[in-house]
Amino acid sequence: MNWIQHLIILPILLPIITAAGLIPVDERNRTLKGVIAFGSTLVVFIISVLLMRAAANAPVGTPGTGVYLLGNWPAPFGIVLVLDRLSALMLVLTAVLMIATQMFSMAKWHRAGHHFHSLLQLMLAGVNGAFLTGDLFNLFVFFEMMLAASYGLLLHGSGMVRVKAGLHYIAINLAASSLFLIGVSLIYGATGTLNMADLGLRITTVGPESRMLMEAGAAILGIAFLVKAGMWPLGFWLPATYSAATPPVAAIFAILTKVGVYILLRLSMLLFGGDAGISAGFGQSVLLYGGLLTIGFGAIGVLASQAMGRLAGYCVLVSSGTLLAAIGLGNGTVIGGALFYLVSSTLTTCAFFLLIELVERARDAGADVLAVTMEAYGDIDENEEEKEIGVAVPGTMAVLGLCFCTCAILFSGLPPLSGFLAKFAMLNGLFNPGGLGAEAPISGAEWTYVSLLILSGLAAMIAMNRVGIRTFWTSIEGTIPRVYLIEITPVLLLLTACVLLSLQAGPAMRYMDATAKALSQPQNYIGRVMSAPRAGETGAN
Amino acid sequence: MLLILVLAPFAGSLAAICIPTQKGTAAAWLAGSIALLCLVISAGLYTVISSGTPLRYDAAWLPELGLNLTLRMDGFAWMFASLVAAIGLLVVIYARYYMSASDPVPRFFALFLAFMGAMLGVVLSGNLILLAIFWELTSIISFLLIGYWHHNANARDGARMALTVTGTGGLCMFVGLMLIGHIVGSYDLDVVLSSGNVIRDHPLYTTVLILILLGVLTKSAQFPFHFWLPHAMAAPTPVSAYLHSATLVKAGVFLLTRLWPVMAGTDEWFWIVGLAGLTTLLLGAYFAIFQQDLKGLLAYSTISHLGLITVLLSLGSPLAAVAAIFHTMNHATFKASLFMAAGIIDHETGTRDMRRLSGLFRYMPITATLAMVASASMAGVPLLNGFLSKEMFFAEAIETHKYNILDTLTPYVATIASMFAVTYSIRFIHSVFFGPPPQDLPKVPHEPPHWMLAPIYFLVFSCLVVGVIPALTIGPFLHTAVQSVLGIATPVYSLAVWHGWNLPLFMSLIALVCGVGLFLVMKPYLTTSIEGPPFFRRLEGQRIFERVLVTLSWKWARSIEMRAGTRRLQPQMRILVAVALVAAAVTLLLQGFKPAAIAFRSIDPAFALIWLIGMICAIGAAYQAKFHRLAALVLLGGAGLVTCLTFVWLSAPDLAATQLLVEIVTTVLILLGLRWLPKRIENPDDPELMTISTRLRRLRDLATAVFAGIGMMLISYTVMTRELPETISSYFLERAYSEGGGTNVVNVILVDFRGFDTLGEIAVLCIVALTVFALLLRFRPATESLETPEQQRVQNAFDDDHPDRKKGDSIAEYLLVPSVIMRWMFPVIGMLAAFLFFRGHDLPGGGFAAGIAMSIAFILQYMAGGTRWVEERLRIHPLRWMAIGLLVATATGLGSWLFGYPFLTSHAQYASLPVLGKIPLATAILFDLGVFALVLGATVLILIALAHQSVRAPRAQMRAAKMAAKENA
Repeated sequence: MNWIQHLIILPILLPIITAAGLIPVDERNRTLKGVIAFGSTLVVFIISVLLMRAAANAPVGTPGTGVYLLGNWPAPFGIVLVLDRLSALMLVLTAVLMIATQMFSMAKWHRAGHHFHSLLQLMLAGVNGAFLTGDLFNLFVFFEMMLAASYGLLLHGSGMVRVKAGLHYIAINLAASSLFLIGVSLIYGATGTLNMADLGLRITTVGPESRMLMEAGAAILGIAFLVKAGMWPLGFWLPATYSAATPPVAAIFAILTKVGVYILLRLSMLLFGGDAGISAGFGQSVLLYGGLLTIGFGAIGVLASQAMGRLAGYCVLVSSGTLLAAIGLGNGTVIGGALFYLVSSTLTTCAFFLLIELVERARDAGADVLAVTMEAYGDIDENEEEKEIGVAVPGTMAVLGLCFCTCAILFSGLPPLSGFLAKFAMLNGLFNPGGLGAEAPISGAEWTYVSLLILSGLAAMIAMNRVGIRTFWTSIEGTIPRVYLIEITPVLLLLTACVLLSLQAGPAMRYMDATAKALSQPQNYIGRVMSAPRAGETGAN
Repeated sequence: MLLILVLAPFAGSLAAICIPTQKGTAAAWLAGSIALLCLVISAGLYTVISSGTPLRYDAAWLPELGLNLTLRMDGFAWMFASLVAAIGLLVVIYARYYMSASDPVPRFFALFLAFMGAMLGVVLSGNLILLAIFWELTSIISFLLIGYWHHNANARDGARMALTVTGTGGLCMFVGLMLIGHIVGSYDLDVVLSSGNVIRDHPLYTTVLILILLGVLTKSAQFPFHFWLPHAMAAPTPVSAYLHSATLVKAGVFLLTRLWPVMAGTDEWFWIVGLAGLTTLLLGAYFAIFQQDLKGLLAYSTISHLGLITVLLSLGSPLAAVAAIFHTMNHATFKASLFMAAGIIDHETGTRDMRRLSGLFRYMPITATLAMVASASMAGVPLLNGFLSKEMFFAEAIETHKYNILDTLTPYVATIASMFAVTYSIRFIHSVFFGPPPQDLPKVPHEPPHWMLAPIYFLVFSCLVVGVIPALTIGPFLHTAVQSVLGIATPVYSLAVWHGWNLPLFMSLIALVCGVGLFLVMKPYLTTSIEGPPFFRRLEGQRIFERVLVTLSWKWARSIEMRAGTRRLQPQMRILVAVALVAAAVTLLLQGFKPAAIAFRSIDPAFALIWLIGMICAIGAAYQAKFHRLAALVLLGGAGLVTCLTFVWLSAPDLAATQLLVEIVTTVLILLGLRWLPKRIENPDDPELMTISTRLRRLRDLATAVFAGIGMMLISYTVMTRELPETISSYFLERAYSEGGGTNVVNVILVDFRGFDTLGEIAVLCIVALTVFALLLRFRPATESLETPEQQRVQNAFDDDHPDRKKGDSIAEYLLVPSVIMRWMFPVIGMLAAFLFFRGHDLPGGGFAAGIAMSIAFILQYMAGGTRWVEERLRIHPLRWMAIGLLVATATGLGSWLFGYPFLTSHAQYASLPVLGKIPLATAILFDLGVFALVLGATVLILIALAHQSVRAPRAQMRAAKMAAKENA
């Protein structure tokens, strides 16, 4: 085997090894631990980029490309890892988020508890595993790994609020995990396989009895992922959890909901795509309407939030809803845009969670409540003296304000950044599924989607505007937060990534579109996995 | 060139940010030179443009989606671009002197330049989506400009309102433009402009029209969205002069004109645009009369003039369109100069309140003269440019375009509005410059610096020149602009000052005379009246807007959030179970699922009895879970044991052994943890707590649980009793020995076939242990669980009562015999673990079971001797064990790379050792060793985390006692 082929597994193994190595190191050497972990993440990032390039350049449908047979057992018997455009994209995204988070945490937050870096590394391994695996039970394992690490990270720093939110989170996710197991066992019982590609193959041939059970299994399985993705009414835990977590943890949690979305996308395209016969389009309407409701609920929550943490939490819900509904529309051209949106919104969310803490560092929490009630009841002091000389904004606040504006623009989908381009790409796909100029009627659900997309952006604009004015323009006692370079750099890094994404929208969008197209042709994926040759047999075959 | 034109201001803006706060003049120079550069470029392009072919610049951005960086300049765009650049330059010069020396102006100029760039972008976009982008950019930047003095509440509110209104409109417009792209098949402006009929005949036309008009009318402050504009006056005056003469509000009119050829002419267009325009024209002029703030007056007059342009565009006739374009330019010149004059007055006197100002002519004659000329132009006095376009407007108003009431009304409304315009123009001049000398002004007024007046000179001069010799000055430029919009439909029009005695002239005269008369009548009232027009004063747009916004975006949103969501755990769990139940049930029932018939015949009674006990235990555990944790735990253990027995019964010894060991360890660990949980609720069945709703809720939960349980049972039964499909398990059975090297298939699956799963699972275990450890390190038990347990209290009391005993003796002696036995068990269990480990590959056992077994040995030691005793005697480094375990397992997997095989490929062979004989040696056993170390480490780590609570507890007790003592003192 070529060493390059082993690269696929490294995004999982490297963090595990790093974490294992870090566990016995004394907590007093935190910085050392942090640096080692950061190095590991950096390597994972480089590998992910290499993998993405490989996935983008891979010839379509050649057996075995990007397929890694663990233990050298052939599919569908052993576990396989599968690299394709989608998983590679998610790997890179995760690594970027991880880099930013780790850098941020090294200023002070990693001191708030024990084994922070190990847990973060294990989470990285879990998330990467979930993106790479091509096996349903293995997916469960990595899902558990990711969740277990997220429990630990959520509780990092302790404190009443965090423990309370943490226990809610654990309870709900454990319940969801049980559903996951039930779903997987039903699917296995009905089809006799756990390999996703094999499932996609068997779905066309199973008898009605098995199909029924398999679909029930898929439905239960889907609920588990919808909990993770935060679909209404299964996502109430999300805002509380995200706002309670320590900032770097909340920031990295931005990728967790996307794991749920990723799996739903992957499985619905693979199992219930156009080739699935009777089962084609199974659950799609649930995703569509659930997604729409989630956008609505999220947008309302955004408006109703006083604290930035909750606001950001609801933004996560909006973004999930947008993606779920986009999957539910079952329109390949929308999915390309939705992937673009996924990347953009995840980066933004991550940056915003990091930013919140920096901004709020110098403020007391009571001020927010007071400002809002003042606004609601119109008790604004009207006899304020007007001074027509501007006040100079201190450098720190200027940078923070600029970052905040950028986040607001990205969240509300205002031009010219990637948030807008993503919405444009989705709407364009929606209006013109056959490309510009091809006549296509627009259905009621699609109109609803369009209006919710716009309205949720509007809600974000109004809410962010309110919060931003309160924070940056009405600071009565101008206390300037102390911000370290190592803390603002990751925020800038993430936002720069968004800007780059906007500037390079052409190539990025081509990648996304190709990804969406590959997803809509699951037979390529299936073919690659099922006929992957074992090592040592390549010559013989 | 076009690209430079658009990018230069943005680049300048970036540069201006970097200028230090004190270097205001440098920033002004920078801004000025950028504006000049833009002006020069656009002037240089005129010769190309005037030939009639639009200039284009194309760069790919998102070519697949039809979004490109297309810039396009035709006559109309050229006219606007020049206007934007020219007035920009003038405003920069003005602002240099207007803004206070201590103001951090680099920020101001940075925003100003960015705004200029966005505005140039709007007018030069050759792609609809690009236009939408620049459009929203103008909204965003104008927000920052209006809120420049953000320490003033008015500026904040004004800025926010402007952004909310125009931003919302912009989003609607964006959808509208996308729909145009959908209809036409391209976002390219050239394509769109040539597809007028396709758009007008499309079923989506009305939708598109409404969406786009929402954008246009909000931007151009047309009724009913006009209210944001007066509040935007909180901006520094140069900003107002720029935004409300030539740029921001004109963007709406610009787009309306741009799309005029493809969208105008329908009834919908006529009614919506016309109605909005006429209302705005009239109301704006009426409101303007009653303003006391100079800028307020100008703001309402701006609204009214925009209304005029809108009305012209609504008519659908080419001549009206010409008038609209002409008036757009004229309005920009006189309104910019008036704003600047108002700014000078404010600057020099310290107030803009017309009630306080009067007789300023004697202090600042030049300013006064210039303002008079400009406001005469605003009023439409002959020989000034305002007069020309107003005459054209009147001429068009009289014409009949459609036979309906709106068209009939137009000339009357036009005359009345024009009359109002005369009134407020006179008022502006009279109240400020004439009358007695002003009393107690904040500052003594005098003429401003010469350079501050220069822009006004220039503007007023152009008003005059255009007004006197229009055909020679503005004529060719206007023609180029008009032709680029109307193309072959360009009508014949004349720019002459004198058209003879005709109806429009009479209308002008009526308006002039009546306007003066109205002013004389109103004068006494206006000099003292409060701000705002009578009758409408209370109906303030801002109030309504704020109320609506607060209600919608705050109060309603809050209550919906409360109702549609929850923050409590119980409802969330209930929903989760219910949703899962519904999802499975719907899927199955819709397809006619029939659960397999349950057959009772072949059941062994003993097995059934075991299961009955198990079920009772499980239900009991659930029943007691909330109110009696210990009982629940014991019952849970019972259920677990029954599961073990079932595995044995169904010949799955591996599972049974593992399950048994896991049961033991988890139960013990939970028992240890139970001590630190808060006290349980006493009296759960207190009748006061059991209201009807509580009962109902419990009943509902019970029903959900029962249904979910039964459903689960039916499904599992069906799956288990049906004939297995062709599964992958047969493959495992066949190859476990031949390729996996083990006869125990379960173990081979765990360490080989699906070894990767195992690696993941041990990582999970590792994480859980770390989490528990990290959490419990910070754990501080609740005060109520701090006190010594009852049993120990009794024992201590016993010791106290007996003088021959020391306190603590009983606790030490208690369980003495068992503890000695437990200590002896350590090596025995160790042997058992080794045994389990080595036989794993062929017989039931394995690393996991061995690890758990070994950890039991440790648990026993802790229980027998106590934390301190054990840790003094044994070296316990669970963290290290865990790390080693994880590393060994991973390294084993990596080993196969050396031989060119994928991760975790195993190799098996038998080694014959002396004494022991033949021993199976698969690489998998190394992997299993890793599993063993990790499981042991993780379990012991959790144990230690729990055990150390009791080490810490005495300290916590002391602290609590101290606190209590302090409180008592």
